[in-house]
Amino acid sequence: MATDSATTDRRIAALAALAIGLQVIEAAIPSPVPGIKPGLANVITLVALLTLGWRAAVAVTLLRVVGASLLLGTLLSPGFWLSLAGGLAALLILAPLWRLYPGHLSGVGLGVAAALAHTTGQFLLAWSLIIPHPQLPLLLPPLLLAALITGVVTGILTNSVLSDPRIQRHVRNPPTTGTG
Amino acid sequence: MPGLRWGDAVMVALAVALVSSAFGVAYMPRGGATELVVTQAGATPRHYPLDVARTIGIDGAAGVTTIRIEPGRARCLDSPGSQRICEGAGWLERPGDMAVSLPNRLVLQVQGPGADFDSMHF
Repeated sequence: MATDSATTDRRIAALAALAIGLQVIEAAIPSPVPGIKPGLANVITLVALLTLGWRAAVAVTLLRVVGASLLLGTLLSPGFWLSLAGGLAALLILAPLWRLYPGHLSGVGLGVAAALAHTTGQFLLAWSLIIPHPQLPLLLPPLLLAALITGVVTGILTNSVLSDPRIQRHVRNPPTTGTG
Repeated sequence: MPGLRWGDAVMVALAVALVSSAFGVAYMPRGGATELVVTQAGATPRHYPLDVARTIGIDGAAGVTTIRIEPGRARCLDSPGSQRICEGAGWLERPGDMAVSLPNRLVLQVQGPGADFDSMHF
């Protein structure tokens, strides 16, 4: 069944609104280490990716980063650029990988890849422009470990969202019956 | 657990390998420092090559900071300051490592042969 672009736009807007809401709520939760968050808004990015395609996921991510930073008052601040770098890096790694869903990868694999890319992209931006200290890479392994863990968690949440029948009918390349 | 695939296990295994190697590479003990630069408020920076083992003392506003130099590394042995922050920095052996003595207004930093960035001066 063809989906006209107005419907797609509405869906992108709805997902972006959800993602912005999640990001703002997460900003209110104090985190033990600066730069480590549960990343729940990434579940929305993955759901957008797998139900509406990669370009829709790009739109949802950009809307989320800009919208959340407008609400939080961080537009164009270093945190905004870090968030943008992380989001774009995650999208870049999802571009070649997402078509492996659902045959070879589920949300967990995509979530882990996206989370690691997100952290690496943020770190590279921070290291090249904000704090070019020679020992900054010492922070990278713990950040990557946190990304691995949060990537698995967001992947599990994504799988669970996508297995809801109300969402299942929108999923592109739906899994064939009898697997999973 | 709904919907897991074999590709997920591959992805997680790759990720674990990446994270482990990152820990290994980053936290391998690694030297490379060739000289100690002592910057004190109101004085020009002094350079000490990290070649011969010796102990030097730097006078400051609150007393004497004793620095132990050994080939390739240096540490603050004793410095006025009740919190022992300068001594707590331990051996400075990677380029960029630094120790600070606030009472004496000193910064000890070891540098390597190449140019490096100091985040304070960027």
